[in-house]
Amino acid sequence: MRPPLAVGLVVLVLGGCATEGVSVRRLPDETPAADNAAAIARMQGAAAAMSGAAKGMGATEARSTGASAADAAGEGNTNASGASSGDTGANTPAAEASVLPPLTPGDAPSMYTYDPLERVNRFTYRFNARFDEHIFLPVANGYRRIPAPIRNSVHNFFHNLGEITSTVNYGLQWRLGNGARTLGRFVINSTLGVGGLLDVASRFKLSSQQTGFASTLSTWGVHPGPYLVIPILGPSTLRDGSGYLGDYGLAYGINMANLYRGYQSYGLGVVSAVDQRAGIDFRYYGSGSPFEYETIRFLYVHRDLIQDEALRTRGRHKPQDPGQPAGK
Amino acid sequence: MVRRQWAWALIALPRVLFADAGATVAQPAAVDGAVAVSLSSADAGPAAGFANPATGLADSAGLRATVFGTLPQDIAPMPARVPLQEIDISMPWARPVPAVLWFDSRLRVFFSAQKKAAPLAIVIAGTGSSGNPAKMSILRGALYGAGYHVLTVPSPTFPGFIVSTSSTGVAGDLMQDGHDLYAALQRVIAHLPRHAPITDIDVLGFSLGGANAAMVKSIDAAEGKLQIHRVVMINPPVSLFASINRQDALFAQAIGPADQGVDDLYRRIYARLANFYRASNKVEIDDTDLLAAAGSVLRTDADFAAAIALTFRLELVDVFFTGDLYARTGVVIDPAHPPGVEDSLEDIGRRLRGMTFAEYFNKVFVPYYTAHRPRATAASLQADNRLDIIAPALRDNRDYYCQTNRDDLILDETELQWLQSTLGDRIAVYDHGGHLGNLGDRRQVADMLDMLAGRWPGSAR
Repeated sequence: MRPPLAVGLVVLVLGGCATEGVSVRRLPDETPAADNAAAIARMQGAAAAMSGAAKGMGATEARSTGASAADAAGEGNTNASGASSGDTGANTPAAEASVLPPLTPGDAPSMYTYDPLERVNRFTYRFNARFDEHIFLPVANGYRRIPAPIRNSVHNFFHNLGEITSTVNYGLQWRLGNGARTLGRFVINSTLGVGGLLDVASRFKLSSQQTGFASTLSTWGVHPGPYLVIPILGPSTLRDGSGYLGDYGLAYGINMANLYRGYQSYGLGVVSAVDQRAGIDFRYYGSGSPFEYETIRFLYVHRDLIQDEALRTRGRHKPQDPGQPAGK
Repeated sequence: MVRRQWAWALIALPRVLFADAGATVAQPAAVDGAVAVSLSSADAGPAAGFANPATGLADSAGLRATVFGTLPQDIAPMPARVPLQEIDISMPWARPVPAVLWFDSRLRVFFSAQKKAAPLAIVIAGTGSSGNPAKMSILRGALYGAGYHVLTVPSPTFPGFIVSTSSTGVAGDLMQDGHDLYAALQRVIAHLPRHAPITDIDVLGFSLGGANAAMVKSIDAAEGKLQIHRVVMINPPVSLFASINRQDALFAQAIGPADQGVDDLYRRIYARLANFYRASNKVEIDDTDLLAAAGSVLRTDADFAAAIALTFRLELVDVFFTGDLYARTGVVIDPAHPPGVEDSLEDIGRRLRGMTFAEYFNKVFVPYYTAHRPRATAASLQADNRLDIIAPALRDNRDYYCQTNRDDLILDETELQWLQSTLGDRIAVYDHGGHLGNLGDRRQVADMLDMLAGRWPGSAR
């Protein structure tokens, strides 16, 4: 399809959304029995993570120093996720975390978000909502009717490609244990896992934990900056958006198996985006609320800030100035 | 390639923190033991001890059950697959859609059709909820598994309903909402996609939806357009305003004065979450972490009370906003200059977070209804918003049923007794569950299905 034609189609679809009357849309079947079984499993995992973190937190909050605190924190971490085991040992970042005083409510940044581009962002948010409603979501819902084993393979394939940028970023964050693990996963899944279609590494207790350039920037002490709504991709910040571009640039530069050049790269990009969308249970304006933009912005940016608090304690950077307002 | 996790999943945060996750803390005692060590008294917040709890009948366990909901291992047997269709439908009587609410122009309902002729179960959501919140999926599964076509609709207090369907724009009046809902249901049922025939119609509702369900049946008894058979109210309020005022008192106790209280609560949660992630060794925050984090964030009774009060307040904010906009009462929105699509609503939202239901009632609801309804006064409006107005039907018509809990925070002792004496042998009162905290558990579901099918001991012949 020629680009002008495609653009015309998008405009037509988005413009024609003030339709009258009744519309019926088939959604993917619900699977309550399986969902409940998964919830039971998740609950057990989370209960373990929680007791682990509670121990670690007890150690940090007790503000004790020395070997016993490091042990306690280390133990907490091992229990914490079952997924994370990269950093252990006496001078790990986690051990550093245990000497930092715990955050108090006074350390929390302002509830208000730095959003100087609000009018543009709101416009983009509305565009995204319409694009999602009329194009992205219907395609993703169609995709979800494909049998699960095939979708899982597609998902694994793209996830596996992500291990490459993760490995580089772990290097940049100087978290070499995690980097080695991610590289190991890539090697195993690319070979035994038939080019990444199967996630064999997880069966070897090498579960996935990816990172990106946005986290690297955070580790280096870069603040989120202004809130941004990126067309189609959705909520972000200047830092996270740059991180995304950085990751893409890196993948493009490495050009694994020549997947990032030529026409096939467009097709793969679309499939990857649909695969991502199909995995996200979100509906634009499903809340019906006039304050949805504010709610999403708050949750996105404050999740980022909380993540930063954890990332910074692992790096060589001082914790963020407690008096500093959010995102500035 | 899009690799970084989209933050969209975050809209699920409040749901995860305040409902699904509950399960995480399956053994509250053990959890409290684990975190008690790290809970400094200064961190417990201003409302650690209640002098005079505004929690209705709820005790500590009732508050926790309300937040956590039914544990997954206690959920009734569910079918493997439930088909689902989403129906967006416009109402011919709808008022003009304000620019800032452009996305709410059509009513959105959800339908699961059986392959053969079957009765239709209509489920009405609770305060501020859409037609498809997490609690709805459980009821849908249970009802579909028992052989019903299932239609789930939003609460008349959901912004999407207020904008698309309400004939006033000022939500919360039991009778008015009942009429709007009744008209909307007729239109929806007439437009259901082609499917196997409907043999009978029953209506259920949880929380405020329970009261709406009873109201819809009583209207149908007079008009007869749907021939609704049985009604099951699940954890309904008796007096709307008493229940809601209780939530406001809870907010005042657990969170404190408006803006400052919300800010303090936010800071406590932020610090706890940040400390939680520091202690865990995760790089990026994902769903499982959120589940685990919920257990570290909510610790004391005051925390649980705050979670409940805040969740409710945020729903009220939407009702207040739409009401003020439609009624042109000018409390937070200048009627001459309503906000546009690209205007920030941050300040309006902040002001509304600090406003109670009493303010909505006195500044929006009463001015609107006294102007539009002959002889209405503040006192009469309050009296009209009690289930008492359909007491004769509830007492004498044996097709009304109710399920509630002895520790439901939206009821007090007198109201519970009123329900019991009015419904007699057609009410099931469970010892535990708080408000909706046992929705979907084996016993609640089994009893609900018995009531719907006329197998309940107190059923009509």
